[in-house]
Amino acid sequence: MTSTSRLARLGLLLAQLILTVCLLLTPLDASADERIVTVGVYENPPKIFTAESGKPAGIFIDLIEHIASSEGWQVRYVSGTWGAILDHLAKGEIDLVPDVAYTADRAKSYSFHKVPALSSWFQVYAPKGNTIHTVLDLNGLRILVLERSIQQEAFIRLSRGFGLNIAVVPVPDYTTMFETVARGEADAAVTNSFYGKMHAKKYGLEDTAVIFEPSDLFYAATKGDPKQLLASIDRQLADLKRNHQSAYYASLKRWTAEEVRLKLPLWLQLAGAGVVGFLIISLVGSVILRHQVNTRTRELHKEKEALRASEREYRQLVMLANSIILRWTPEGRITFLNEFGQRFFGYTAPEILGRHMVGTLVPEQESEGRDLRSLIQEISADPRKYERNINENVRRDGERVWIDWTNKMVLNEQGQIREILSIGSDITARRQAEEQIRRLNEDLQRHAETLEQRVAERTAELAAISDEQRTIFESAGSGIVLLRQRKIVRCNRKLEEISGYGPGELAGQSTRIWYADDAAYEAGGALVYAQLAVGKTFRREQQLMRKDGSLFWVRMSLRAFDPDNPLQGAVGIVEDITDEREAAEKLRQAMEAAQAADRIKSAFLATMSHELRTPLNSIIGFTGIMLQGLTGPLNPEQHKQMSMVQKSSRHLLSLINDVLDISKIEAGQLHLASAAFALRPSIEKMVSLIAPLAEQKAIDLQVDLAAEIGTITTDQRRLEQVILNLLSNAVKFTEQGRVRIVCRLDDHHYILTVTDSGIGMRPEEIPNLFQPFHQIDTGLTRKHEGTGLGLSICQKIINLMGGSIEVTSQWGQGSDFTVRLPRQPGDRV
Amino acid sequence: MNNRLLVIEDNEQNLYLMRFLLEKSGFAVIGAEDGKKGIEMALQYAPLGILLDIQLPEMDSYAVAAELKKHRALAHVPIIAVTSYAMVGDREQILAAGATGYIEKPINPETFVAEIKHYLPKDKESSNA
Repeated sequence: MTSTSRLARLGLLLAQLILTVCLLLTPLDASADERIVTVGVYENPPKIFTAESGKPAGIFIDLIEHIASSEGWQVRYVSGTWGAILDHLAKGEIDLVPDVAYTADRAKSYSFHKVPALSSWFQVYAPKGNTIHTVLDLNGLRILVLERSIQQEAFIRLSRGFGLNIAVVPVPDYTTMFETVARGEADAAVTNSFYGKMHAKKYGLEDTAVIFEPSDLFYAATKGDPKQLLASIDRQLADLKRNHQSAYYASLKRWTAEEVRLKLPLWLQLAGAGVVGFLIISLVGSVILRHQVNTRTRELHKEKEALRASEREYRQLVMLANSIILRWTPEGRITFLNEFGQRFFGYTAPEILGRHMVGTLVPEQESEGRDLRSLIQEISADPRKYERNINENVRRDGERVWIDWTNKMVLNEQGQIREILSIGSDITARRQAEEQIRRLNEDLQRHAETLEQRVAERTAELAAISDEQRTIFESAGSGIVLLRQRKIVRCNRKLEEISGYGPGELAGQSTRIWYADDAAYEAGGALVYAQLAVGKTFRREQQLMRKDGSLFWVRMSLRAFDPDNPLQGAVGIVEDITDEREAAEKLRQAMEAAQAADRIKSAFLATMSHELRTPLNSIIGFTGIMLQGLTGPLNPEQHKQMSMVQKSSRHLLSLINDVLDISKIEAGQLHLASAAFALRPSIEKMVSLIAPLAEQKAIDLQVDLAAEIGTITTDQRRLEQVILNLLSNAVKFTEQGRVRIVCRLDDHHYILTVTDSGIGMRPEEIPNLFQPFHQIDTGLTRKHEGTGLGLSICQKIINLMGGSIEVTSQWGQGSDFTVRLPRQPGDRV
Repeated sequence: MNNRLLVIEDNEQNLYLMRFLLEKSGFAVIGAEDGKKGIEMALQYAPLGILLDIQLPEMDSYAVAAELKKHRALAHVPIIAVTSYAMVGDREQILAAGATGYIEKPINPETFVAEIKHYLPKDKESSNA
């Protein structure tokens, strides 16, 4: 700093002081009944601002004070931000707002006078040494503008017009803007030419070549100008502008630093001459002073550096913090939102800065109805009461979130609340969880009674089932056991009884105790668990060992609860089958004995057959020889008696044959031969054998054999035996009339019928006809000799041949016996 | 001229009956009361035919038939079994053992000799007639 410039400053300061005193004194002289005009004051030096003394100052203040004194108004000032002041004006709470650019839009809300108070333009200011030479150099930069100002709109228009991508950040006042740019948090700031000229240097900034939107500035009045101030202002301004010596030009010179020259008032020049001597004297001292100043400057520089470093750290902390960091004015306007907050809420800084909290981050009402508009008002009125508050917020996409906020107030120099700093964490998930827990608790409460009742009911049911099961368990006729890891977990009394143990002795024991040795235990287990593992019920009869070491037979059924893990649990039913096994063994022995007896019987029959026939052979043989006369002639009596011997011995032979046949049949030992033979000669041979008897009884023996009869494939001797038997019976039971034998054939059978006109049978006698040892009407037995085995043997033989034998009869009318025999494919006709 | 028939039969009455009927028809009958003796007689006398009772003491008739058939000199001598159908399969068994045929017991004196002749070589029969 040079001594010359210091001098100039000193002069300027004195001039300001004097002017201000003069101006401030003026209203005090005004009469009490003058009109009161309330003027809004905000910070836009040098046009309008609050001086260090706390009084309003600046060009517009100078002008309105001049006009007021001329018009006889009493001026009162109301301070606030630009936005707040405009709001007050719109509501009619103040009368005039200085320094308002005219726009059609604003003209809808406010009234303007016609003679411009000042002409101004906007200019971009950036740190010294910047490279901004044209508007295009602004591309990609972060540039601060005054919120809700003409320049904001104009600058955005400008940047869009050039197709630039500029982060335009609205800021409430110029001071903040220059401070922010000086700190390096923004690249440049847009101010009006007046402010820029006056303050750029102080912040190490300089004007750039980017100048835009020249505009005329006015005083704006409440819409409709209710106090009729505007016409007076126009008239006064016209007068002031005409006269170059007027207070208008004096004020302009005073407040625009470049225009100010050291053209000091006379008294000041004289006073200055007085001090020249002093200055010369102190010139020497100034060298020393300069050294001291330099030292102090270095110290200050160091302090400033330290402060900057601390600020940088703080800034990084704020930027990187995982909490929402928010600054907002008492009016509810957002002045800062950290990057986390921006990401969280979904806004970029340009989009959110300067906007009102309500309608952006804060919904008007919480989902549950709480009015947040008034909450914000209450917080800003007294943030100390709301150091902590939890409220619902809203993201840009409309999603509601719950935030736990810590609020601190930031005071200005006057001790008023400048801003509120709010730090918030998202507790939505926690709240949702808490809400869910609360709801669940309510549900539980609500259903607690029902649940308790249901539990009681269910418990009772289970107890009943459990009683039932215990009863079944204990009263079952079989042993029941629950196994785990081949150990007896539980078993009923029956199982203890059958294996010879006392009550409770089996529980907890390994199943090893039921086996005689380890090998039997391992083998038994392997077999069982292989089956259980595939989900099958294992059933087996095996021997187990009683407590006393004796073995007994059981039938076991085992099933696993979980086939994947049979060792973990299986239930078994164990039946003592000792008695059953004994009975079965007895039965087996009995059957063996019976079979042995059968074999003995067969051998006995064979022997008897031979032994009985051998003597009969010689009786019949010798009788025949004698009757033939081979041993010499017999007299009539001898011949008669020898014939009786022959007849009796033949009867005896037929009895023996029948008994042997039926025995063989019943023992399953009758085997048939199978050969083809001519059927007709066989029938005729049997007819010829019976013919003498029929002739003897004067019975008409008729034979009717179909011409087509050919061969048949079966056991010839046995078939002939049947035919002879049927013919013999027919002749035997017929006293007079006829016996007729008929043979026909159809596609598959030979049908042989023997019909007689004999005694016949009653219907009730027919079913038993083919039973062995059955002869109808025992009273006739003596008359009709026979074993009663004949028809039974006939039926068995015909059945073995694959045929059938049927009978129809009428008591006293005679009987028909019909034999059907299958014809073989090879049989000729 | 060979008209010898060997009858192997353990029952004396039956042997006498068959011998009586066969001798009446001109055959020379050699009797043997068991199998062993029957085989000896057969080898010694080379009979025209052999009547073999199916149930014999000691050596059973199936073994006798098989033994007789083993000797080349007896290979063409017919063996006629005399059966009573007492045992299941006795006829099949005796035919399998080498018998030429069988007749039923009790015998019918009127037809007995004719049945025997039926199994004997025809030229011998005609020479006897």
